[in-house]
Amino acid sequence: MMQNQRRGHKYKHSSVSHQIFLEPPPRAPLALPASLPIPTFTEWRKSISKEQNARILWCLGHCIISTYIWWCTGGSLAMTALSHLVLFDALSAILCVCVDVLGNFEVWKRSSLRHPFGLERAEVLAGFAMSVFLLFMGMDIFSHTAEHLLENWTPESELELASHSAHPVDHTDHSAHARVSPGSVDLAALLAIISTLTSAIVLRNHARIGQAMRFNTLESLKLPGLLSNPAHMLTLGCAGVLLILPLLSIGMFSWLDRCLALGMALSMIVIGIRLVKVLGSMLLMSYGGPGVAEVIKEIELDSSVTSVQEASFWQVHHNLCMANLKLCARGISGAGGESRLRERITRLVRDRLGGPYGKRGQKWEVSIAIELDQ
Amino acid sequence: MLAGAHFSRRSGHSHGHDHSHDKTDSRQKQPSAVTLYILRVVSPIPLLHSIIVERDSRRILYFMCLNFGFMLVQTMYGFWTGSLGLLSDSIHMLFDCLALAVGLCAAVMSKWPPSQTFPYGLGKMDTLAGFANGIFLMLISIEIIIEAMERLWNPQGMQRLWELLTVSSLGLVVNLVGIMAFDHAHVHHGHSHGHSHSHGHSHEKPKKSCSNGHSHDHDHDHDHDHSHDDHKHDHSDHEHSHDDHGHSHDHNENMHGIFLHILADTLGSVAVVISTLLVKYFGWTGFDPLASVLIAVLIFASAVPLVASSAKRLLLTIPPSIEYSLRDKLSEISTIQGVHGYTVPRFWMEKDGGRKSMGVVHIQVKQGFDPKEVKQRVEASLGHDMNVIVQAEGMGINDAPCWCGGTSTSVSVGGQGGSLRER
Repeated sequence: MMQNQRRGHKYKHSSVSHQIFLEPPPRAPLALPASLPIPTFTEWRKSISKEQNARILWCLGHCIISTYIWWCTGGSLAMTALSHLVLFDALSAILCVCVDVLGNFEVWKRSSLRHPFGLERAEVLAGFAMSVFLLFMGMDIFSHTAEHLLENWTPESELELASHSAHPVDHTDHSAHARVSPGSVDLAALLAIISTLTSAIVLRNHARIGQAMRFNTLESLKLPGLLSNPAHMLTLGCAGVLLILPLLSIGMFSWLDRCLALGMALSMIVIGIRLVKVLGSMLLMSYGGPGVAEVIKEIELDSSVTSVQEASFWQVHHNLCMANLKLCARGISGAGGESRLRERITRLVRDRLGGPYGKRGQKWEVSIAIELDQ
Repeated sequence: MLAGAHFSRRSGHSHGHDHSHDKTDSRQKQPSAVTLYILRVVSPIPLLHSIIVERDSRRILYFMCLNFGFMLVQTMYGFWTGSLGLLSDSIHMLFDCLALAVGLCAAVMSKWPPSQTFPYGLGKMDTLAGFANGIFLMLISIEIIIEAMERLWNPQGMQRLWELLTVSSLGLVVNLVGIMAFDHAHVHHGHSHGHSHSHGHSHEKPKKSCSNGHSHDHDHDHDHDHSHDDHKHDHSDHEHSHDDHGHSHDHNENMHGIFLHILADTLGSVAVVISTLLVKYFGWTGFDPLASVLIAVLIFASAVPLVASSAKRLLLTIPPSIEYSLRDKLSEISTIQGVHGYTVPRFWMEKDGGRKSMGVVHIQVKQGFDPKEVKQRVEASLGHDMNVIVQAEGMGINDAPCWCGGTSTSVSVGGQGGSLRER
């Protein structure tokens, strides 16, 4: 056992050995990973490039549009839901830009002791927060709609109240059908469509969000990139319906409005739950993709591997996965045998797990501790 | 107003409520007789049993039952009398129950052992639930503020004052019960003893809106800690930890989140009661939005530390004191015989709030040394409180280079920070 690393120099200072034992040539100490400072807001502001600045301005515009839509809902629940969706789009676009700008800094990508994987995991965390936001909005609309429905179901109490109180209840929700005159264009819905399309096509904001969600079923349909983000599809669809309804001179009856709002709320909740699951499992240090069990089995089948003691496959953030293995092996003590086994396993992991998803740019860091069986 | 009648008729179901109240009060450190009885009853159902055996999840379950029961009663009563206020409040309570259910799931799942899908266990579930709860609270407070602004801008007459008062005072009672239950759970949380990594950050505690008991608990940990070998580091920790407040806070974030949620509800009820009374006596409807804004700001402020600390844990940030000892150990590794260099040192905490860390490091072994022996030496020097995958790479001609680039470039870690060794 070599706990005492200075054993070899035990007699260095004795008078006899003074001349015999020469000190080894001084070796430059190994550099520790540098600790990188987290940028302050002013630093962050300064590092913004021109193109990024344009993006930020657009995102703020997007936010303002969503506020405008919210402002002119006129009691229509579906319109409120739409404004929420647009706001979600705008905020996630802002998130994308912020991540983009933070990528200008070294602390983002490079690992330090304090942040072993850089700060890139913060993007996952922010995405998780955004999906909680989506869930929240879905539930909010849901409960508002439920309240409105309840109001309809209990007309007696309403009547009684209206007769009892000095100020009658403001029935704004019932005026929904009068918001847009039949045959005219709903400006708010049009704005929603335009801003969403701009954000998607010009800025490609949603590729990243869509990637995080990884709607496998949608992916297999080979939809154009624009529609690969379900939140996006929802926004466009609802805005489209809201745009078409007045044009077709279908009166926006309040029940239709409520149904639409309820549908939107439900799909927001579904998307939100899906997102929370995917991003949450990443935050819980797990790998969501398929094929881990097969890979482990294949490693066990390798001729020189006797057993796999530990095998942890997990995803650190959107672009990085880790495979940490502890193996027992035998018959590889020859020249380079160990490294060849390592290379073999690394290639196996990357081929199997990085393969179909490789185009997403996920990197696999494979580390293998090998114990030799004698 | 018809709500006055509700109030007098309400006594009908109050005994059910009192019953649950007894149950919550009798919960002390030892499982109460009620709990023991329930434990016997549910022993054939493993899931329920595991929930009730554990302190935290038991509390959540009981409170959820109380909340849910109250909600049912309220809904039925609301339908019976056709009262909108009661019904919309029960929708609110439904969401509260949902939040509690999520918290319960998190508490149960966090005890699950590691599996292939979750190689490091689900211990982070508590932190994740706390984070989600914190974000939720922030969003709720923002929504409250927006709605209050709307009402200030466009004041609406307050109707159904009595009904409002009744509903919110009853909600207040339920939530007070919850606060009493969770405050205790929050303070004397079971496994917070034993491992600690605190260093005089107790001045941060009051901001966390915890009770005084909490900092007491913390001090206890602190004393304990001094007997450990890390004593000498304590001073220097202060120097680079100024941006790391509250990280060393050792508690269950899930329980903290639920506690804050109930606290927020309680404050909301208090605000409604007070503002309704004020509106009644002074006739200015602006009191209600003002109280809402005040409460919302309070909720938001109390959620910030929770979100910050859970975010740090989820980002796998290493707390300063651990970082310091890691630096020490890494520079020790570089002096080990046969070690040429190391690459990709990545370490994270094994358990949130614990002292043990785990991770990965690749060691390049000089030619002429046995990689196996060097690996053992490195593992020994990393010590027992680190569970690290050490990949030893030979540097012979036959050795294939690793992706980490350690053997191809003869330099170790690419840090331009120069030597950071403390010697």
